[in-house]
Amino acid sequence: MSRLEHAAERMSSLEASDGRVVAVEAQLKQALIEIAELRARDGLKTQFLANISHDLRTPLTAVITHAEILRDGILGDLTPRQMESVRGIISGGRQLLNQVGEILTYARGAANQLTLVPTGFSVRDVLEQVSTLNEPLLKKKKLSLDVEIDPGLPPIIADREKITHVIANLIGNAIDFTPAHGRVWLRTARVTDKGVTLLLVEVGDTGVGIAPEHHDLIFREFAQVDSTASRPHHGTGLGLTIARRLVELHGGKIWVESELGTGSRFFFTIPVEPPA
Amino acid sequence: MLLVEDSALVTDALRILLEASNRRVSVAASIADALTVGGTDPAALVLVDLTLPDGDGLALIEPLRAAGCRTFVALTGHDDASTAARCRAAGCADVLVKPVPARELIGKVAQWVDGVNDVA
Repeated sequence: MSRLEHAAERMSSLEASDGRVVAVEAQLKQALIEIAELRARDGLKTQFLANISHDLRTPLTAVITHAEILRDGILGDLTPRQMESVRGIISGGRQLLNQVGEILTYARGAANQLTLVPTGFSVRDVLEQVSTLNEPLLKKKKLSLDVEIDPGLPPIIADREKITHVIANLIGNAIDFTPAHGRVWLRTARVTDKGVTLLLVEVGDTGVGIAPEHHDLIFREFAQVDSTASRPHHGTGLGLTIARRLVELHGGKIWVESELGTGSRFFFTIPVEPPA
Repeated sequence: MLLVEDSALVTDALRILLEASNRRVSVAASIADALTVGGTDPAALVLVDLTLPDGDGLALIEPLRAAGCRTFVALTGHDDASTAARCRAAGCADVLVKPVPARELIGKVAQWVDGVNDVA
């Protein structure tokens, strides 16, 4: 092959690879456009969720207030059966309000609008508060609750409201997924990881358990292991997604150890004080 | 007392509750309405929603205080510490998260208006 022929061949090969580069660049450009469109749509969905949950709160507020006016006898006494019915309206309304609140928290988290308001507080106080709030439900389901708090645990600096939300969510799930006469427990400990002192919280139960292949799924948004309409446990499917977001916002981790039929143990860690 | 809230559903419920406990209640559905109502008939207590169609309810505190209204309490749907801190910094005596339990509201109103400490 002459030098001229060699150069011509090389030129043609370069032109072909130029063509391929142009094609890849066009594909990349198209992919970037599609990503931007999907992000915009995701943003719209998040905004829709935030708006709708805000708008749902207003009529719910009115329903609950009217029902409480009747329950509290402010407009006169009710018969026992009327009272039972009005209590049903209030408890259904409050449950719906919590679910709407959950959607709003999720939407804010997805839009990165959740900010931490750290204060110093005792984890013991939070655990006692959450335990007390759940006493009626535990009693109704005939479940026992054991609370084990590390006596040497110092006050922590974190967003109390958000940590309370996480613990309440985990306890709520434990109660929901544990059949009558079962056991639920709450444990705390102080652990150290790479020189950082962490608060470790465990929420365990003797309930139905979660198959290992579902351990990731349950922390994903809108995911439920049983998502059929006839599923025995209802909810937004956002509780654990929100819990994970709130824990991660603190620089912590959340995970589960469980197998079907053996109960579940949920754990999370957060630094006992925010990183400097 | 003056209730500033843009949802008639909520004001109807609160008015029934407050009037049943012998309170005289004026209602305003916007900042503009509230400035007119509160300016002509200053209220001992203003319950103010944060999200009003013409702006942030907290913007009412200064002009209404200057007009003679005494105590301001925020009504909000957001149960979070930063909202509460913002309301208190703007001069609210308290921050109530909707729906406020009926008995609790009556007790608190008595506390703010009459100085009576009988939170039920």
